[in-house]
Amino acid sequence: MSRNELNAAAREELAALDRILAREPVGERHLELAALVDSVRAGTPRMDPAFAERLDAQVAARGGGRRRAMLRFDRPAARRVALASGGLVAAAVAFTIVISSGALNGSKQAPHSARALGAPLTRTPAATPTANAHTLSPSVRTSGPVAATGAAGSSFAGLSPTLRGAARLVHRDSTLTLATSPASMQGVANQIVAATERSGGVVQSSNVAIRGSASRASFSLSVPSGRLGRLIATVSALASVRALHQNTNDITDGYNQEQARLADNAAKRAALLKQLAAAATVAQQTAIQRQLSRLEARIAAEHREIDRLLTQGHTATLQVTIVPAGSVKHAAAAGPFTTAFNRALKALEAILAIALVAFAIVLPFALSALALWWGATTVRQRARERAMRTA
Amino acid sequence: MTVIAAVPTSGPGAGEQFEQLYRSSAADVYAYVASLLRDRSAAEDVTALAFERAFRRRALFDVRRGTPRSWLFAIARNAALDELRRRRRTVALLHEVADDSSELEELDPDLAERRLLVRDGLAALEARDREVILLKFVGRLSNAELARVLRCSESNAGTRLHRAIERLREVCGVTQ
Repeated sequence: MSRNELNAAAREELAALDRILAREPVGERHLELAALVDSVRAGTPRMDPAFAERLDAQVAARGGGRRRAMLRFDRPAARRVALASGGLVAAAVAFTIVISSGALNGSKQAPHSARALGAPLTRTPAATPTANAHTLSPSVRTSGPVAATGAAGSSFAGLSPTLRGAARLVHRDSTLTLATSPASMQGVANQIVAATERSGGVVQSSNVAIRGSASRASFSLSVPSGRLGRLIATVSALASVRALHQNTNDITDGYNQEQARLADNAAKRAALLKQLAAAATVAQQTAIQRQLSRLEARIAAEHREIDRLLTQGHTATLQVTIVPAGSVKHAAAAGPFTTAFNRALKALEAILAIALVAFAIVLPFALSALALWWGATTVRQRARERAMRTA
Repeated sequence: MTVIAAVPTSGPGAGEQFEQLYRSSAADVYAYVASLLRDRSAAEDVTALAFERAFRRRALFDVRRGTPRSWLFAIARNAALDELRRRRRTVALLHEVADDSSELEELDPDLAERRLLVRDGLAALEARDREVILLKFVGRLSNAELARVLRCSESNAGTRLHRAIERLREVCGVTQ
């Protein structure tokens, strides 16, 4: 039997005690207990009438005096206001963190920030084609695909022999995945071609297959680097963006090496030409001319490589893939209800993200406060029990 | 948290129902507190403080954790123990409540003697035993309510109560 368990007689006596306190009749064997209860109750101190009156007045003021009671109840209200203010501050902090960390600029929000998406992901001021264009030297020939890109060709006019310091030659390529309904896929494809031509670019290859839910279209576009961002923004607005990847590759070092080799070979050629003029015998002239031929072949190859690098640096490529939309439909093709629904979903996502961050911020503080409160309560209660023992 | 209808936090009947709780408990709360503190003046302060706290905290009252009466006695107990901690009162109550002896003179001599005996016996008990008896006899709390106030299990509260009654009988020389 546990030390807390009572025997039957004790339980019966406690039950009788409850009946006595409830002023119910008990058996003769519990009359002694009833007398004990009566004696204890009679022996306890009674309130002084003056104090009883003061206490009555105080409680009456609480119950009847609405104004005073209301003043008292302002305290919990003030606490609620303080809590709400704290929550608002936490939410504001969370919102700031979410905004600054770019949590709201995920891929799904891409259609709403198409202009921002057009910007390169790892852009440096020196990597902009405009910066390069101002340092290009007129001594370099323009040829090949550069001329075909129209506006890009004009940027070759200012190329310098070597690119130093801040001037960099950067190749940019991007891949963009769009989603739209099969019915509107052909229209979107046509608009992509038109947008590319407006940007001064060319469609290097395209493939459009309309087969219901298996429809698919892909494009390989080539545009002047300076217009890639605008083209991505334009194309992104045509359908829902599923994915966007942007890569940059700095080819300045390779270009500078080719330029250095070209300069060396040009100097060698000039020296050989001098030797040829001074050659005394036919055999010497023949040997020098053979060396000149080989050297000029190398110089021509270096010119071609330099042209290729320049074209690569000033012409960006954009791979566009269009897939059939599932649950996400193109905003322009969807009805107003669907559009509103999608916007509401996005707003809910943002709110959820903010709520999660706010929760993550508030939770440690709340747990700490709870632990402190629990500890303080426990310590206080133990002190009270100690006071009881020592009383 | 469920707020019971007995102690509503607002509405036209809020004040009246709190006053009803006060009317039915004030004398018992005072008797309990005064017996614990053994100081009439401190008991008056603590009783007033207990009702003040109860009024302010009535929004926190949870019906699942006991009745309004046990909740009120728990508040009064905490206030009394805080007062004990603060003042470390050890003065015997009987010296201060001796004025009640005049009532005994009007009673039957046997009954008066018995009450005096019980009062002395109660004062001689350990504080913990005295508290249990006061909460039960004066506060008229059920064993469950007693457990709630004493922060122990119901069976433990019953055991403590029974042992305290036995000790009271023992010190009073009363046989069952």
